Amino acid sequence: MGFILNPLYNFVSGVIVLIHKALTPIFGFDSGVTWALSIVGLVVLIRIILIPLFVKQIKSQRALTALQPQMKAIQNKYKDDRQKQSEEMMKLYKEHKTNPLASCFPIIAQAPIFFALFTVLNGIAAKTDAGVSAPIARGFLKGEYLDSAAQATFFGAKISQSFLGSTDTTVKIVTIILIFIMSATTFTTQRQLMVKGMPKMDSSNNMMLQQQKIMLYLFPVIFAVSGVNFPVGVLIYWSTTNFWTWGQQYYVIKRNPTPGSPAFEELQQKRKHKEKLENREQSGTVINPENTDPGQTGAAPGQRKQPKKKKKK
Amino acid sequence: MRKLFLLIISFYQKWISPAFPARCKYYPSCSSYAASAVSNYGVRGVFMAIWRLMRCNPWSHGGVDYAVKPLQNIQKTSVGVN
Repeated sequence: MGFILNPLYNFVSGVIVLIHKALTPIFGFDSGVTWALSIVGLVVLIRIILIPLFVKQIKSQRALTALQPQMKAIQNKYKDDRQKQSEEMMKLYKEHKTNPLASCFPIIAQAPIFFALFTVLNGIAAKTDAGVSAPIARGFLKGEYLDSAAQATFFGAKISQSFLGSTDTTVKIVTIILIFIMSATTFTTQRQLMVKGMPKMDSSNNMMLQQQKIMLYLFPVIFAVSGVNFPVGVLIYWSTTNFWTWGQQYYVIKRNPTPGSPAFEELQQKRKHKEKLENREQSGTVINPENTDPGQTGAAPGQRKQPKKKKKK
Repeated sequence: MRKLFLLIISFYQKWISPAFPARCKYYPSCSSYAASAVSNYGVRGVFMAIWRLMRCNPWSHGGVDYAVKPLQNIQKTSVGVN
Protein backbone atom coordinates (compact mmCIF):
# COMPACT_ATOMS: atom_id res chain seq x y z
CA MET A 1 0.00 0.00 0.00
CA GLY A 2 2.91 2.32 0.74
CA PHE A 3 3.78 2.92 -2.89
CA ILE A 4 0.26 4.24 -3.51
CA LEU A 5 -0.18 6.15 -0.28
CA ASN A 6 3.23 7.80 0.07
CA PRO A 7 2.81 10.00 -3.03
CA LEU A 8 -0.60 10.98 -1.69
CA TYR A 9 0.85 11.88 1.73
CA ASN A 10 3.53 13.86 -0.07
CA PHE A 11 0.95 15.67 -2.18
CA VAL A 12 -1.39 16.54 0.69
CA SER A 13 1.33 17.52 3.16
CA GLY A 14 3.33 19.30 0.44
CA VAL A 15 0.40 21.50 -0.52
CA ILE A 16 -0.40 22.28 3.10
CA VAL A 17 3.22 23.14 3.92
CA LEU A 18 3.55 25.31 0.79
CA ILE A 19 0.42 27.31 1.58
CA HIS A 20 1.56 27.53 5.18
CA LYS A 21 4.86 29.02 3.99
CA ALA A 22 3.03 31.57 1.88
CA LEU A 23 0.72 32.59 4.72
CA THR A 24 3.32 32.69 7.51
CA PRO A 25 4.34 36.34 6.84
CA ILE A 26 0.68 37.38 7.23
CA PHE A 27 -0.59 35.37 10.18
CA GLY A 28 2.57 34.00 11.77
CA PHE A 29 4.24 30.59 11.76
CA ASP A 30 2.45 29.01 14.73
CA SER A 31 -0.90 30.67 14.23
CA GLY A 32 -3.93 28.38 13.98
CA VAL A 33 -5.30 30.68 11.27
CA THR A 34 -2.32 29.82 9.07
CA TRP A 35 -2.89 26.10 9.54
CA ALA A 36 -6.66 26.26 9.07
CA LEU A 37 -6.26 28.35 5.92
CA SER A 38 -3.67 25.88 4.65
CA ILE A 39 -6.30 23.15 4.81
CA VAL A 40 -8.85 25.44 3.17
CA GLY A 41 -6.24 26.16 0.49
CA LEU A 42 -5.86 22.45 -0.17
CA VAL A 43 -9.61 22.21 -0.79
CA VAL A 44 -9.58 25.24 -3.07
CA LEU A 45 -6.67 23.83 -5.07
CA ILE A 46 -8.30 20.43 -5.53
CA ARG A 47 -11.65 21.95 -6.47
CA ILE A 48 -10.01 24.33 -8.96
CA ILE A 49 -8.28 21.37 -10.58
CA LEU A 50 -11.69 19.69 -10.84
CA ILE A 51 -13.43 22.70 -12.42
CA PRO A 52 -12.63 21.73 -16.06
CA LEU A 53 -14.35 18.40 -15.47
CA PHE A 54 -17.35 20.20 -14.10
CA VAL A 55 -17.47 22.61 -17.04
CA LYS A 56 -17.30 19.66 -19.40
CA GLN A 57 -20.29 18.10 -17.72
CA ILE A 58 -22.28 21.33 -17.86
CA LYS A 59 -21.48 21.73 -21.55
CA SER A 60 -22.83 18.30 -22.35
CA GLN A 61 -25.94 19.13 -20.33
CA ARG A 62 -26.45 22.18 -22.47
CA ALA A 63 -26.02 20.10 -25.63
CA LEU A 64 -28.92 18.04 -24.35
CA THR A 65 -31.45 20.74 -25.15
CA ALA A 66 -31.22 19.69 -28.81
CA LEU A 67 -32.15 16.12 -27.87
CA GLN A 68 -35.24 17.07 -25.88
CA PRO A 69 -37.81 15.85 -28.46
CA GLN A 70 -36.12 12.46 -28.73
CA MET A 71 -35.86 12.20 -24.95
CA LYS A 72 -39.56 12.92 -24.58
CA ALA A 73 -40.36 10.31 -27.22
CA ILE A 74 -38.39 7.71 -25.28
CA GLN A 75 -40.09 8.66 -22.04
CA ASN A 76 -43.51 8.27 -23.62
CA LYS A 77 -42.67 5.04 -25.39
CA TYR A 78 -41.35 3.28 -22.27
CA LYS A 79 -43.60 4.91 -19.72
CA ASP A 80 -44.03 1.75 -17.67
CA ASP A 81 -40.57 0.26 -18.09
CA ARG A 82 -38.12 2.46 -16.30
CA GLN A 83 -35.17 0.17 -16.96
CA LYS A 84 -35.78 0.13 -20.69
CA GLN A 85 -36.26 3.88 -20.53
CA SER A 86 -32.85 4.53 -19.02
CA GLU A 87 -31.26 1.98 -21.35
CA GLU A 88 -32.64 3.76 -24.42
CA MET A 89 -31.64 7.10 -22.94
CA MET A 90 -28.03 5.94 -22.59
CA LYS A 91 -28.09 4.71 -26.19
CA LEU A 92 -29.31 8.11 -27.31
CA TYR A 93 -26.53 9.88 -25.39
CA LYS A 94 -23.93 7.58 -26.86
CA GLU A 95 -25.23 8.09 -30.41
CA HIS A 96 -24.93 11.82 -30.04
CA LYS A 97 -21.63 11.62 -28.16
CA THR A 98 -22.92 13.63 -25.27
CA ASN A 99 -23.60 12.52 -21.73
CA PRO A 100 -24.99 14.82 -19.06
CA LEU A 101 -24.07 12.53 -16.17
CA ALA A 102 -21.08 13.23 -13.99
CA SER A 103 -19.49 9.74 -14.20
CA CYS A 104 -18.35 7.59 -11.32
CA PHE A 105 -14.58 7.82 -11.39
CA PRO A 106 -13.97 11.36 -10.03
CA ILE A 107 -15.55 10.71 -6.63
CA ILE A 108 -13.61 7.49 -6.25
CA ALA A 109 -10.45 9.35 -7.21
CA GLN A 110 -11.12 11.93 -4.50
CA ALA A 111 -11.47 9.39 -1.73
CA PRO A 112 -7.72 8.59 -1.47
CA ILE A 113 -6.90 12.29 -1.06
CA PHE A 114 -9.39 12.54 1.75
CA PHE A 115 -7.94 9.41 3.32
CA ALA A 116 -4.41 10.79 2.99
CA LEU A 117 -5.40 14.03 4.73
CA PHE A 118 -7.06 12.00 7.45
CA THR A 119 -3.88 9.99 8.00
CA VAL A 120 -1.58 13.01 7.88
CA LEU A 121 -3.67 14.87 10.46
CA ASN A 122 -4.07 11.79 12.62
CA GLY A 123 -0.30 11.41 12.55
CA ILE A 124 0.02 14.81 14.19
CA ALA A 125 -2.23 13.71 17.01
CA ALA A 126 -0.48 10.37 17.61
CA LYS A 127 0.45 9.48 21.18
CA THR A 128 2.62 6.84 22.79
CA ASP A 129 0.99 4.14 24.89
CA ALA A 130 1.80 6.17 27.98
CA GLY A 131 -0.20 9.07 26.57
CA VAL A 132 2.75 11.28 25.71
CA SER A 133 2.26 13.15 22.46
CA ALA A 134 4.51 11.66 19.77
CA PRO A 135 3.57 13.10 16.37
CA ILE A 136 4.30 10.94 13.34
CA ALA A 137 5.80 12.78 10.38
CA ARG A 138 4.18 11.96 7.04
CA GLY A 139 5.29 13.43 3.73
CA PHE A 140 6.55 16.99 4.01
CA LEU A 141 4.91 17.66 7.34
CA LYS A 142 7.94 17.12 9.56
CA GLY A 143 10.39 18.88 11.84
CA GLU A 144 9.33 22.35 12.96
CA TYR A 145 6.22 22.16 10.79
CA LEU A 146 5.07 19.03 12.58
CA ASP A 147 5.67 20.58 16.02
CA SER A 148 3.84 23.73 15.01
CA ALA A 149 0.90 21.83 13.50
CA ALA A 150 0.59 19.71 16.64
CA GLN A 151 0.01 22.91 18.65
CA ALA A 152 -2.12 24.76 16.09
CA THR A 153 -5.65 25.60 17.16
CA PHE A 154 -8.88 26.40 15.37
CA PHE A 155 -11.12 28.55 17.59
CA GLY A 156 -9.23 27.17 20.56
CA ALA A 157 -9.41 23.50 19.51
CA LYS A 158 -6.31 21.67 18.30
CA ILE A 159 -6.72 20.81 14.63
CA SER A 160 -5.37 17.31 15.20
CA GLN A 161 -7.87 16.41 17.92
CA SER A 162 -11.21 14.68 17.44
CA PHE A 163 -14.41 14.64 19.48
CA LEU A 164 -13.86 11.12 20.77
CA GLY A 165 -10.10 11.43 21.10
CA SER A 166 -10.09 14.43 23.40
CA THR A 167 -11.35 15.41 26.83
CA ASP A 168 -11.07 19.12 26.06
CA THR A 169 -14.46 20.86 26.13
CA THR A 170 -13.40 23.38 23.50
CA VAL A 171 -12.56 20.54 21.10
CA LYS A 172 -16.00 19.01 21.72
CA ILE A 173 -17.81 22.28 21.08
CA VAL A 174 -15.80 23.11 17.94
CA THR A 175 -16.24 19.60 16.48
CA ILE A 176 -19.98 19.67 17.15
CA ILE A 177 -20.31 23.02 15.40
CA LEU A 178 -18.24 21.79 12.44
CA ILE A 179 -20.25 18.58 12.19
CA PHE A 180 -23.40 20.67 12.22
CA ILE A 181 -22.06 22.87 9.41
CA MET A 182 -21.03 19.78 7.48
CA SER A 183 -24.46 18.19 7.79
CA ALA A 184 -26.32 21.42 7.08
CA THR A 185 -24.36 22.17 3.91
CA THR A 186 -24.82 18.60 2.63
CA PHE A 187 -28.52 18.80 3.39
CA THR A 188 -29.10 22.15 1.67
CA THR A 189 -27.00 21.14 -1.35
CA GLN A 190 -29.00 17.97 -1.87
CA ARG A 191 -32.32 19.66 -1.22
CA GLN A 192 -31.51 22.42 -3.68
CA LEU A 193 -30.73 19.81 -6.32
CA MET A 194 -33.82 17.73 -5.59
CA VAL A 195 -36.23 20.65 -5.57
CA LYS A 196 -34.84 22.68 -8.45
CA GLY A 197 -32.03 20.95 -10.27
CA MET A 198 -33.34 17.55 -11.36
CA PRO A 199 -35.36 16.75 -14.46
CA LYS A 200 -39.01 16.22 -13.64
CA MET A 201 -39.12 12.73 -15.15
CA ASP A 202 -37.34 11.45 -12.06
CA SER A 203 -40.32 12.18 -9.89
CA SER A 204 -42.36 9.70 -11.95
CA ASN A 205 -40.68 6.94 -10.03
CA ASN A 206 -42.09 7.29 -6.57
CA MET A 207 -40.01 4.71 -4.84
CA MET A 208 -36.75 6.27 -5.88
CA LEU A 209 -37.91 9.70 -4.87
CA GLN A 210 -39.07 8.35 -1.54
CA GLN A 211 -35.73 6.71 -0.96
CA GLN A 212 -33.96 9.91 -1.87
CA LYS A 213 -36.07 11.82 0.61
CA ILE A 214 -35.19 9.41 3.39
CA MET A 215 -31.51 9.75 2.58
CA LEU A 216 -31.83 13.50 2.57
CA TYR A 217 -32.63 13.38 6.26
CA LEU A 218 -30.60 10.34 7.16
CA PHE A 219 -27.31 11.51 5.76
CA PRO A 220 -26.70 14.32 8.24
CA VAL A 221 -27.19 11.73 10.98
CA ILE A 222 -24.59 9.47 9.39
CA PHE A 223 -22.22 12.41 9.19
CA ALA A 224 -22.76 13.21 12.83
CA VAL A 225 -21.98 9.63 13.82
CA SER A 226 -18.82 9.35 11.72
CA GLY A 227 -17.73 12.95 12.32
CA VAL A 228 -16.95 12.33 16.00
CA ASN A 229 -13.98 10.23 14.87
CA PHE A 230 -12.50 12.90 12.60
CA PRO A 231 -9.83 15.37 13.67
CA VAL A 232 -10.84 19.05 13.54
CA GLY A 233 -8.60 19.53 10.47
CA VAL A 234 -10.53 16.92 8.48
CA LEU A 235 -13.80 18.54 9.52
CA ILE A 236 -12.48 21.88 8.25
CA TYR A 237 -11.61 20.20 4.96
CA TRP A 238 -15.02 18.57 4.68
CA SER A 239 -16.99 21.71 5.55
CA THR A 240 -15.03 23.80 3.06
CA THR A 241 -15.49 21.31 0.27
CA ASN A 242 -19.23 21.23 1.04
CA PHE A 243 -19.45 25.00 0.84
CA TRP A 244 -17.67 24.87 -2.50
CA THR A 245 -20.05 22.22 -3.84
CA TRP A 246 -23.04 24.23 -2.70
CA GLY A 247 -21.81 27.44 -4.31
CA GLN A 248 -20.92 25.70 -7.55
CA GLN A 249 -24.31 24.05 -7.72
CA TYR A 250 -26.11 27.27 -6.90
CA TYR A 251 -24.32 29.01 -9.76
CA VAL A 252 -25.11 26.24 -12.23
CA ILE A 253 -28.76 25.89 -11.25
CA LYS A 254 -29.21 29.63 -11.69
CA ARG A 255 -27.22 30.04 -14.89
CA ASN A 256 -27.16 26.72 -16.64
CA PRO A 257 -29.80 24.34 -15.28
CA THR A 258 -30.37 20.77 -16.45
CA PRO A 259 -32.93 20.67 -19.27
CA GLY A 260 -36.29 19.56 -17.95
CA SER A 261 -35.72 20.68 -14.36
CA PRO A 262 -37.90 23.28 -12.62
CA ALA A 263 -34.95 25.68 -12.56
CA PHE A 264 -34.58 25.25 -16.32
CA GLU A 265 -38.20 26.18 -16.91
CA GLU A 266 -37.84 29.16 -14.63
CA LEU A 267 -34.84 30.38 -16.58
CA GLN A 268 -36.56 29.80 -19.92
CA GLN A 269 -39.57 31.76 -18.80
CA LYS A 270 -37.33 34.54 -17.62
CA ARG A 271 -35.53 34.58 -20.97
CA LYS A 272 -38.76 34.48 -22.96
CA HIS A 273 -40.07 37.30 -20.88
CA LYS A 274 -36.95 39.29 -21.61
CA GLU A 275 -37.19 38.54 -25.33
CA LYS A 276 -40.83 39.52 -25.33
CA LEU A 277 -39.98 42.83 -23.77
CA GLU A 278 -37.19 43.43 -26.23
CA ASN A 279 -39.32 42.46 -29.20
CA ARG A 280 -42.09 44.66 -27.99
CA GLU A 281 -39.68 47.54 -27.84
CA GLN A 282 -38.37 46.80 -31.32
CA SER A 283 -41.51 46.01 -33.32
CA GLY A 284 -44.19 47.46 -31.10
CA THR A 285 -46.36 44.34 -31.47
CA VAL A 286 -47.25 41.69 -28.94
CA ILE A 287 -46.01 38.24 -29.85
CA ASN A 288 -48.44 35.37 -30.12
CA PRO A 289 -48.32 33.62 -26.74
CA GLU A 290 -48.44 30.21 -28.48
CA ASN A 291 -45.03 30.78 -29.98
CA THR A 292 -43.49 31.91 -26.75
CA ASP A 293 -44.60 29.04 -24.55
CA PRO A 294 -41.57 26.73 -24.28
CA GLY A 295 -43.60 23.79 -22.95
CA GLN A 296 -45.97 23.68 -25.90
CA THR A 297 -43.38 24.02 -28.62
CA GLY A 298 -41.23 21.38 -26.94
CA ALA A 299 -44.03 18.84 -26.55
CA ALA A 300 -45.62 19.21 -29.97
CA PRO A 301 -43.01 17.42 -32.13
CA GLY A 302 -42.85 14.55 -29.65
CA GLN A 303 -46.58 14.07 -29.75
CA ARG A 304 -46.71 14.14 -33.52
CA LYS A 305 -44.06 11.47 -33.87
CA GLN A 306 -45.75 9.08 -31.52
CA PRO A 307 -48.77 8.02 -33.61
CA LYS A 308 -46.57 7.63 -36.70
CA LYS A 309 -44.40 5.06 -35.00
CA LYS A 310 -47.40 3.09 -33.81
CA LYS A 311 -48.86 2.94 -37.32
CA LYS A 312 -45.63 1.47 -38.69
CA LYS A 313 -45.91 -1.47 -36.38
CA MET B 1 -15.42 -13.65 -0.90
CA ARG B 2 -17.96 -13.18 -3.67
CA LYS B 3 -20.67 -12.78 -1.08
CA LEU B 4 -18.67 -10.14 0.75
CA PHE B 5 -18.27 -8.10 -2.43
CA LEU B 6 -21.94 -8.45 -3.29
CA LEU B 7 -22.87 -7.43 0.24
CA ILE B 8 -20.75 -4.28 0.00
CA ILE B 9 -22.26 -3.43 -3.40
CA SER B 10 -25.82 -3.94 -2.22
CA PHE B 11 -25.11 -1.86 0.88
CA TYR B 12 -23.82 0.91 -1.38
CA GLN B 13 -26.86 0.63 -3.64
CA LYS B 14 -29.32 0.66 -0.79
CA TRP B 15 -27.80 3.23 1.57
CA ILE B 16 -25.20 5.39 -0.10
CA SER B 17 -26.13 5.75 -3.76
CA PRO B 18 -29.71 7.04 -3.21
CA ALA B 19 -28.36 10.02 -1.28
CA PHE B 20 -26.70 11.39 -4.39
CA PRO B 21 -28.07 12.27 -7.80
CA ALA B 22 -27.66 9.66 -10.52
CA ARG B 23 -24.20 10.01 -11.94
CA CYS B 24 -23.25 6.90 -13.86
CA LYS B 25 -22.80 7.31 -17.61
CA TYR B 26 -23.59 3.71 -18.38
CA TYR B 27 -26.54 1.39 -18.34
CA PRO B 28 -26.56 -0.67 -16.18
CA SER B 29 -24.83 1.53 -13.63
CA CYS B 30 -21.30 0.76 -12.44
CA SER B 31 -22.56 -0.79 -9.22
CA SER B 32 -25.02 -3.19 -10.84
CA TYR B 33 -22.40 -3.99 -13.48
CA ALA B 34 -19.99 -4.82 -10.67
CA ALA B 35 -22.59 -6.98 -8.91
CA SER B 36 -23.34 -9.07 -11.98
CA ALA B 37 -19.68 -9.26 -12.99
CA VAL B 38 -18.58 -10.50 -9.57
CA SER B 39 -21.42 -12.99 -9.18
CA ASN B 40 -20.74 -14.43 -12.65
CA TYR B 41 -16.97 -14.27 -12.99
CA GLY B 42 -15.61 -14.02 -9.44
CA VAL B 43 -12.13 -12.51 -9.25
CA ARG B 44 -12.18 -11.69 -12.96
CA GLY B 45 -15.40 -9.82 -12.29
CA VAL B 46 -13.65 -7.62 -9.74
CA PHE B 47 -11.16 -6.51 -12.37
CA MET B 48 -13.99 -6.05 -14.87
CA ALA B 49 -15.71 -3.78 -12.34
CA ILE B 50 -12.53 -1.75 -11.74
CA TRP B 51 -12.02 -1.38 -15.47
CA ARG B 52 -15.63 -0.29 -15.85
CA LEU B 53 -15.19 2.34 -13.11
CA MET B 54 -12.14 3.70 -14.91
CA ARG B 55 -14.12 3.90 -18.12
CA CYS B 56 -16.89 5.81 -16.39
CA ASN B 57 -14.86 9.03 -16.50
CA PRO B 58 -15.59 12.57 -17.68
CA TRP B 59 -14.23 11.86 -21.15
CA SER B 60 -16.28 8.77 -21.89
CA HIS B 61 -19.61 8.86 -23.68
CA GLY B 62 -21.12 6.04 -21.66
CA GLY B 63 -23.73 3.87 -23.30
CA VAL B 64 -25.22 0.45 -22.77
CA ASP B 65 -22.70 -2.04 -21.46
CA TYR B 66 -23.62 -5.32 -19.77
CA ALA B 67 -21.22 -7.50 -17.83
CA VAL B 68 -23.36 -10.47 -18.79
CA LYS B 69 -25.67 -10.09 -21.75
CA PRO B 70 -29.18 -10.83 -20.55
CA LEU B 71 -31.01 -13.30 -22.84
CA GLN B 72 -34.36 -11.66 -22.33
CA ASN B 73 -32.98 -8.38 -23.51
CA ILE B 74 -31.66 -9.75 -26.80
CA GLN B 75 -35.09 -11.17 -27.60
CA LYS B 76 -36.75 -7.89 -26.78
CA THR B 77 -34.53 -5.85 -29.10
CA SER B 78 -34.77 -8.32 -31.98
CA VAL B 79 -38.55 -8.10 -31.83
CA GLY B 80 -38.27 -4.35 -31.86
CA VAL B 81 -36.08 -4.42 -34.98
CA ASN B 82 -38.48 -6.64 -36.89
